[in-house]
Amino acid sequence: MSDARVRRRGPGAGNTVLTIWSVLVFAFLFLPIVVIIFASFNSGRLLVAWESFSLAPFAAIVEKPVVREAVLVSLRTGLIAALFASLVGTLAGVAMARRPGKWVWWFLGLLLLVSVTPEIVDAVALLPWLVFLGQDLGMSIFNDGTVRLVIGHSLFSVAIVSYIVRARLVGLDARLEEASADLFAPPLRTFLKVTLPLAMPAVLAGFLLSFTLSLDNTVVSAFVQVSGTTPWPVYVLSSLRSGLRPEIAAVSTIMLLLTLASLALVAYVLKRAGDSASEIARTMAGG
Amino acid sequence: MRSPRFGLAVPAWVWLAIFFIAPIGMVVWFSFGYKPGIFGTHANDVLSLDRYAEAMSPTFFATFQNTLWVGVLGTLLCLVIGAPVAYWMAVKAPPSRRGLLLALVMVPFWTNFLVRTLGWQVILSPDGWLSSGLQAIGLLDGPIDILYTRGAVLIGVVYNYLPLMILPLYVAFDRVGTPLREASKDLGASSVRTFLRVTVPLAQPGIIAGVLLVFIPLMGDYITATVLGGAQGNMIGQLVASQFGTAQNWALGSAMAVMLILIIMLTIVVAAAILWLISLPFRNRNRLVLEKAS
Repeated sequence: MSDARVRRRGPGAGNTVLTIWSVLVFAFLFLPIVVIIFASFNSGRLLVAWESFSLAPFAAIVEKPVVREAVLVSLRTGLIAALFASLVGTLAGVAMARRPGKWVWWFLGLLLLVSVTPEIVDAVALLPWLVFLGQDLGMSIFNDGTVRLVIGHSLFSVAIVSYIVRARLVGLDARLEEASADLFAPPLRTFLKVTLPLAMPAVLAGFLLSFTLSLDNTVVSAFVQVSGTTPWPVYVLSSLRSGLRPEIAAVSTIMLLLTLASLALVAYVLKRAGDSASEIARTMAGG
Repeated sequence: MRSPRFGLAVPAWVWLAIFFIAPIGMVVWFSFGYKPGIFGTHANDVLSLDRYAEAMSPTFFATFQNTLWVGVLGTLLCLVIGAPVAYWMAVKAPPSRRGLLLALVMVPFWTNFLVRTLGWQVILSPDGWLSSGLQAIGLLDGPIDILYTRGAVLIGVVYNYLPLMILPLYVAFDRVGTPLREASKDLGASSVRTFLRVTVPLAQPGIIAGVLLVFIPLMGDYITATVLGGAQGNMIGQLVASQFGTAQNWALGSAMAVMLILIIMLTIVVAAAILWLISLPFRNRNRLVLEKAS
């Protein structure tokens, strides 16, 4: 405490290096995103070679049926998968927080397994399984493109929503629900009027994160998709061979804006619910 | 309150059992079978471990070596690059800015994985602006020759998984809190000593979480290697995928998928064992110091 001058000078140089390093890393993190945004205004035929500024790539989204269709498939699947994951995940999260027992560790273990299994393993496992269910067992619902995509996208999302909802409710007092029960509210009423509103910020955050995850999903989608319902990332992946065109960058830019909007909404909802910056970070990093 | 709320988890149990456990179980089952002919994908009437032997062919081994190289080096690079950033964000940056900084890390993390990787393909392309720029200022004689190599895959994976390292490290450094660090400095420890003896040990769970969060998905990576790696940058994920796709050999592909999971788990166990062995002398020293003190 005595020699403030020395103390300030010592770490000062280190601080400058740390700051410069961090700024460089942030630049690194945004470099390819900026490149893609730039490329979406390219009038040339290929994404890599810049010709001149143009809005034509954006027009292609409306004009080209293949592109339009792929985007719509992505949005539709994202919405359904997010709704489904929120429903199933919320119920599981509430159960984990309010009916803890030995089973919770098994369930958490399963969720952990779901989150650490490489996507490619999920993908190659789901493909034969869906073929088995749909063709060998004749359950034709599993031959439907949207159903397959929703199933593939829901696995990780169910885990995320369960984590988030559990984390939120564990931190809240169960006596609120006990009071409701003491005042003669039937269980369903307590659930709808007390538990659900308490968990709502987490449910909303989980919904938006699931939606974003679904828009992002490429590997599982590429395997389980049925021709005719090709989601956007799979379309991009398949055009790797034929040459990337600027409209791919244009759609990506719009998808980026959509993702940003969802994230901003998640952050806003969690902030309103009283979470600190690092709690929000933990939620968004997947529990 | 005696309502059977355990039941609320049943839908999730059932869903994950049908669409996660059962499919993976099927893959394990397939891995003991064989490919019956040109048109068949799998048959399980004769069970054997032959597909595992087949999977360990020289091609697989070379790809496995490459994957492990990219996985280990990529994870270490993420740690080395990400730790100072996380530390700076949690400790040095003005507290009012931390929310914004976290958002800046999260935006790339939540941006479409494939698109980010395509961004690197554009950057590293031999006729891209980076290539021509470096040539113009005389740093390069010819166009960049890195796309479709292991180097390009390494750049891609470090980039793609870096946020997964920074976020848990940030949370860990944030948790350590200023009072302990100040106490250490007040007791005469230098900044470096405080960092090594107070901050790092307390942030250890976050460091381990970050390493696992990066290493596990990295080893199974399919997209980065497909977009940025060529023949030189092949990874096991692609090998598995090609057996289920083009080769239509589900039995061999299943054996490779099972091996991929086993390799990831084995690497983690080995790394944990090595870390434990390294820490042994330090543990003993600490104990000696404590015994002397008491």
